[in-house]
Amino acid sequence: MDFISGLLPHILNGLALGLLFALIALGFTLIVSVMEVINLAHGSLFALGAYVALLVISPDLSALGPLGEAYAALPLGARYAIALVIAPLAVAVVGFGLEVCLRRTYGKKKEYGLLLTFGAALVIEEAIRLTWGPAEQVLPTPEAVTGAFLAGDMIYSKYRVFAAVFGLCAIGLVWLFLDKTPYGAIIKAGAHDSEMVRALGINLSRLQLLVFGFGAALAGIAGIILAPIWGLRPHVGVDAVIPAFLIIVLGGIGSFWGAVAGGLLVGLAVGITGAYATDWSILSMYLLLILVLSVRARGLFGKKTVLET
Amino acid sequence: MLTARGKVPLVTRQMLVFFALLFSYPLWASAVGLYDYIGVEIAIWIIYALGYNLLLGYTGLPSFGHGAFLGIGAYAYGLSQLDLSGGVWIGLLLAVCAATAAAGLVACFLSHRRGIYFALMTIAFGQIFWFVAIKWHGVTGGEDGLLNVLRPELGLGVASISLKSNTTLYYFAAALLAVIVVILWRVLHSPFGAAIQAIRMNETRARFLGYRVWLIKWSVFTLSGAFAGLAGGLFCLTQESAYPDVMSLHASGFVVMMTLIGGGFVSFWGPVVGVIVFFLARDLLGSVTEAWLLWYGLLFMAVMLFEPEGVAGAWGRIAARLGSQKVAAPAAGKEAST
Repeated sequence: MDFISGLLPHILNGLALGLLFALIALGFTLIVSVMEVINLAHGSLFALGAYVALLVISPDLSALGPLGEAYAALPLGARYAIALVIAPLAVAVVGFGLEVCLRRTYGKKKEYGLLLTFGAALVIEEAIRLTWGPAEQVLPTPEAVTGAFLAGDMIYSKYRVFAAVFGLCAIGLVWLFLDKTPYGAIIKAGAHDSEMVRALGINLSRLQLLVFGFGAALAGIAGIILAPIWGLRPHVGVDAVIPAFLIIVLGGIGSFWGAVAGGLLVGLAVGITGAYATDWSILSMYLLLILVLSVRARGLFGKKTVLET
Repeated sequence: MLTARGKVPLVTRQMLVFFALLFSYPLWASAVGLYDYIGVEIAIWIIYALGYNLLLGYTGLPSFGHGAFLGIGAYAYGLSQLDLSGGVWIGLLLAVCAATAAAGLVACFLSHRRGIYFALMTIAFGQIFWFVAIKWHGVTGGEDGLLNVLRPELGLGVASISLKSNTTLYYFAAALLAVIVVILWRVLHSPFGAAIQAIRMNETRARFLGYRVWLIKWSVFTLSGAFAGLAGGLFCLTQESAYPDVMSLHASGFVVMMTLIGGGFVSFWGPVVGVIVFFLARDLLGSVTEAWLLWYGLLFMAVMLFEPEGVAGAWGRIAARLGSQKVAAPAAGKEAST
């Protein structure tokens, strides 16, 4: 019993982390399946989301006079909620810009698109460093989700529960969107056979633009939620993009449930090994990946795709 | 980049021009505002990038974790100096062996993969090595790395030379680079070189033709790891230290950028140009602004958007245009640049 109760917080931490990983990976897998591009800038977009949220939550509005003061007087919770809307939108706009650039590489070597996003990752990261400085910053969180609470004889951080619930809701909404709306059907059709979608008279360019923006926004949201747990550094994106890669490969490229299952597995692996060897916990996800891929070459839910040619 | 059939000279005219520039560099470097140390860096990274282009440009396999092998080479060299004090040659040999072994192991997991799966797996493996380098304090010295790896005397059989001065070190690195260039040129014009290009063109067709694609991909990955290891050993010799930074995803991405900016897909010399552009950009932009990477990243994006075949691709097009004006000019375009 001691063993279980000792491990339980780590499992819960792992689940919370896993849900957010899954959210990052979902945006990533959407972009991969519709555009056939590995978005190496995904981590930078993640970081950008968190930094824009920081800007929205605690802006320097003294220039705006009374209006700025009124905004600053808003409760933290309200400003946080505003940030949760504005920051992903801002990230989506950056995503739009990136997609417009990417367009030139469609139909050429796959590496060109990949490398373009690598360049974009560098540019965004350096821009963040220039704008907000290289030092670590703290993203304030509302009173309601700060601190700890007791569940039975276990102390648990409120914020992690909030993060887990938020991640779960966001994944649920994405699923509803993809599975129950006509837009979702178009996106899935676009991932399956983009030529056919175009032949049916759907504006493929606009679809690609919106999907890229949507994927970027998901990364931005995950960035806001994870920032208080991980801290906010300009290069925090690498910590997010690497698990996202692993999850996609683990779960199978282009698979929704693969991304969710992969995210949870990676989160749990990191969480549980964190209980025994904190320093080495990140290594567990790589080992998990190699283990799974040795058995199933295309990941848990993967099918053979055009991406392998 | 398709190599011509028939006999290929061991040393070409372009190589002679390159060697002339390479070995005369210390004589004119200061006149154009450069210095020996950056020459050493460039020579080392050219070895690295040329070896890497075997994989990216010639076989069409994008590895995003190649920094790992540079790092392993650097650590192997550093450890050999600190624990064995075996001299430069033994250290470099160990660096090559260690990186080759690691690359060979990784290649076992990678060689049946293609495209995006290949790229993602190389990222994963690169990160594993980087992570271990940071965490395994006892051997690698953690984030600080191995420090105070002093430059030993270079034994040359009859005499030994001190590598303390950057100029001597430059000639040593340049000599190694020259040898590597000849070796790589030879490899690329061997049947093996033709086979890897066949794999880039169409892997399935290469398999149908009877090539053992798995083995060839394994060999080319391992071979390019060996070159990275040599570069890593030289890197540690030059920097007098080895640290995990060179193994990070960013550093691994840099070699891809260098290879492509120069035009590794279309020319043997692409990586050479790319490395020079990178280091000159670092020095020139770095002297103007702290955020030189921002500008370099933008430059790179622009290259990918407007001239994805890099400097060599642009040069090839210009040469082709000039060639079509002067009918007499025999070889033009891509053939001329290989």
